Amino acid sequence: MSNFIEGKAGTRLLLMGNEAIARGALEAGVSVAAAYPGTPSSEILENLARASKHWNLYVEWSSNEKVAMEVAAAASFAGLRSMTSMKQCGVNVTADFLLHLSLSGTRGGMVMVPCDDPGAVASINEGESRQFARSVEIPCLEPGDFQEAKDMIKWAIELSEEIQNLVMVRSVTRLSHASGTVVLGEIPEMRPQAVFKCDGFVLDPKEGIMVPAPVGFKHDLQHKKLEKAVLRFEECPFNTYRGPEKPELLIVTSSICHLYSREAVHRLGAEDRVGLLRLGTTWPLPPKLVEKHLRRVDKILVVEEVLPLMEQDLKVLAMELAPQIGVKRFYGKRDGSLPMVGELNPDLVGQAIAKILGMEYKTAPQEYVDRARQLAFFGAPARELTFCPGCPHRASFWAIKNALELDNRHGFVCGDIGCYGLAVLPCGFQTLKTMHAMGSGTGLASGFGKLGRFGLDQPVLSTCGDSTFFHTGMPALVNAIHNQSNITMVILDNSGTAMTGFQPHPGLKVDAVGNETPSIDIPAVCRAMGARVEVCDPFDLEQTESTLLKLLEVKEGVKVLVLRQICAQSPEKKAKKEYEMRVNEAACLGQNCGCNRLCTRIFRCPALVWDQAKGTARVDEALCAGCGVCASICSLGAIERKEAV
Amino acid sequence: MKVFGPKELHEDVQKKDLCIGCGACVELCRYFRNYKGKTAMIFPCTLPQGRCYAHCPKAEVDFDFLASKYWGEPYEGRPLGKYLEVRAAKAGDRMDQGTFQGGGTVSALLTLAMETGLIEAAALTDREGLVPIPRLVTGPEEVVKCASSKYMASPTLAGFNLGVRKGYGRIAVVGTPCQVTAVAQMRANPLEKEDFNDPVALVIGLFCNWGLDTRKLIALLTEKMDISTIQGMDIPPPPAEVLILETANGEVKIPLEEIRPLVPNSCHICPDMTSEWADISVGMFEGRPGWNTLIIRTSAGLKLVDQACQSGFLITEKMPEPNLDHLIEAASNKKKKALLKAQKDGVLNTKQEDQRSAIRMRAEVIERITA
Repeated sequence: MSNFIEGKAGTRLLLMGNEAIARGALEAGVSVAAAYPGTPSSEILENLARASKHWNLYVEWSSNEKVAMEVAAAASFAGLRSMTSMKQCGVNVTADFLLHLSLSGTRGGMVMVPCDDPGAVASINEGESRQFARSVEIPCLEPGDFQEAKDMIKWAIELSEEIQNLVMVRSVTRLSHASGTVVLGEIPEMRPQAVFKCDGFVLDPKEGIMVPAPVGFKHDLQHKKLEKAVLRFEECPFNTYRGPEKPELLIVTSSICHLYSREAVHRLGAEDRVGLLRLGTTWPLPPKLVEKHLRRVDKILVVEEVLPLMEQDLKVLAMELAPQIGVKRFYGKRDGSLPMVGELNPDLVGQAIAKILGMEYKTAPQEYVDRARQLAFFGAPARELTFCPGCPHRASFWAIKNALELDNRHGFVCGDIGCYGLAVLPCGFQTLKTMHAMGSGTGLASGFGKLGRFGLDQPVLSTCGDSTFFHTGMPALVNAIHNQSNITMVILDNSGTAMTGFQPHPGLKVDAVGNETPSIDIPAVCRAMGARVEVCDPFDLEQTESTLLKLLEVKEGVKVLVLRQICAQSPEKKAKKEYEMRVNEAACLGQNCGCNRLCTRIFRCPALVWDQAKGTARVDEALCAGCGVCASICSLGAIERKEAV
Repeated sequence: MKVFGPKELHEDVQKKDLCIGCGACVELCRYFRNYKGKTAMIFPCTLPQGRCYAHCPKAEVDFDFLASKYWGEPYEGRPLGKYLEVRAAKAGDRMDQGTFQGGGTVSALLTLAMETGLIEAAALTDREGLVPIPRLVTGPEEVVKCASSKYMASPTLAGFNLGVRKGYGRIAVVGTPCQVTAVAQMRANPLEKEDFNDPVALVIGLFCNWGLDTRKLIALLTEKMDISTIQGMDIPPPPAEVLILETANGEVKIPLEEIRPLVPNSCHICPDMTSEWADISVGMFEGRPGWNTLIIRTSAGLKLVDQACQSGFLITEKMPEPNLDHLIEAASNKKKKALLKAQKDGVLNTKQEDQRSAIRMRAEVIERITA
């Protein structure tokens, strides 16, 4: 078991941000944690699941983020401390419950940990979860380093318990996935008793019913809670200042941007000119604390990622305070000192500071920059985003692409989030034509499938992963069936939440901790809903294609094709090859008419390599997963497979 | 002849709705495939020249090139093309009578060719349900299973290409004029490959005025009847003006005016009624049920016909002059209409360098035909 789960108080460890957050939850005495996987948040719950074997803790992967938040809220209602975590888009999934929960309030301390992804390193959006804290009016904290990532969880849980409402602790990719030193604290021996008291006076926050109504009363109560939080924020140890008493420029920053700012100031050697106010409590801003620091200077640079929320709030405060502290000049995203989109870094912050102070900011020497660029361009192998060798999705999309083209009615596929989203790219033969949120492919398809009366006569398909099916695919499918939309939903069942690291989902016989649990059969669910269901192995290209072609011709109703084949990277596979593959060079047509490198140019499994010198394809045995599919795409039979021993 | 690649084929033929789905580009590679009568380009292929384009009967068909290759002379635009003689024909005693739609001439000639070893395989058209599908047959007993008219554009040549890929060296093809044109282009080795061997031993062409779009016909018939009961179909000669469907519950007649809209656009630019590039062409004998019209075009064709007559596979008679005149008139009409349409659509003898044509024919020949 990892040190950070068992480690004694005072131990100093190198921890990943998400490990620090998980340790923080243990030190905070959290009893229940629930989440849905999503990069960069997944390791928080994974580590808590591991810890649950050691500590008295209930941990689950829920079917989606909203359900996870509800599970965690139930624990809070019963007096336990709880936590839910999610990636930034997951906050949107929780939004409806979140809005109402913030009004009904909580009991046991409850924290939500959204992990944002500025720059969309592992996302298809730059969602901003701090916006939600403002929107539903709950306190928002932002750890600025790894120690804080741990310590802030405990502080936030205690704050939540004090104000009887949910508290947000927002992380970002470079905190969640980077590592730093953390000194461990004590994990309390807790034997909490869960009781849901609900028979008291209806408005009693501790013993009444948990509802957002009467709204006027509850909303007013919520504001009183925020006022209490602001009082705590004024004295919060996570708000710190370093720098001269009267700097020329004050940087106000939070989160990982605080490290970028420190580094930038250091590189500029401007420690005696620039002050750094690092805020851990970013909403609502503590006005007295802010006033104290704004009095130091006239120029303020706000450094934060994604939306300029803190910048706007500071400007409002500064305007209100102007009669007492004078007019201030603000720099940040809104005046273009820092970019509105993408991640920040020390160079971007350094350039902004230098410009304001009229200094010269030197990044790396030009020679170095040129050389690095040259090496990256010419030296690095050309790699593209692609499916892994042996990935069932490549086979699935090959069959889907073939079927749609053969069907020849301009059919299209609405996709959603998962590895299979890559099918918008050449690796999936550019088969996906829409991609938005979890489950949205089927929802969009459901809509497209009703446009027949307006002349839309193209076949409509959706693709949906197995985990996504349970997350938000089911309501969309229900909608399509009930409203008699003419669609074909292809469920790409690769036996796990593969993209985020094989977390289990309700379709599997194992839970978050590894215990056996009942699984829910996807084809049976779809049949019970009223869909016509077929199940194929996508590695059998011919059968998959012909099944799909038949389904496309069914004129009415919803068809479901479940393509079932385990992910090539799944730990369950243990990297076992089913086939040994080789290219018969004598039979390989190469670039000639009749092939034109179909396998290496179109099918593009990374394990198939074009041998320029020989003019034939070759199998890279180190990469080949032995799925055998490429043997079926070579019309000349030049790719041979034999059963692996 | 000009040969381009798959990209141009897709632009010139498929995007212009000129693809007839003959199957000439299918089974050469994985890029072009046919399903239920429609040929699709599944993936982009980047070759500047391909057999797909070279063989396509709707892309840069150079009539002078073909005529000089096969007839040793320029293309003159004669209504029936070049031929040795025209006869009336029907299957002889050696064939089981009553299994054919017309005179059984094609089945008889193929059976003989297969029994004597003249051919080792034949690319024919079978059907799956109502959908015509290519069938490569290797035994005489399989030949008659593919007999009967389909009236739908069929990817027959996919079966031929498969046969070539499998290494058959003496293949017979039975096809419509478009398919026979494709085979003629293929046999001319348009890409000038040094190791080229002509795998074709016999080409039997069929008469064709037009085909029907498979999918549209099935859709129309589905509206009118239970298509699983259909056992055969026939379009009797004028003035019948009907498509007759023989079903388990008797005949169903559909007026041709309902059927004509189902003729693919591509048929309207086809100038060939009698499969001019075949060894032998076979069609209905109007006004004489149970007999075929037989055009013998090559010495190889003549040799087979003579052998068939001597061995009892075939009975032939002289073709009466009025019938021949009528055939010539019908073929002339088709040529004229097709060339005018191709001209109107801008796919005949385009002048600009960057414009490609479906048909290339000498201007004076076109003038003569369309006069």
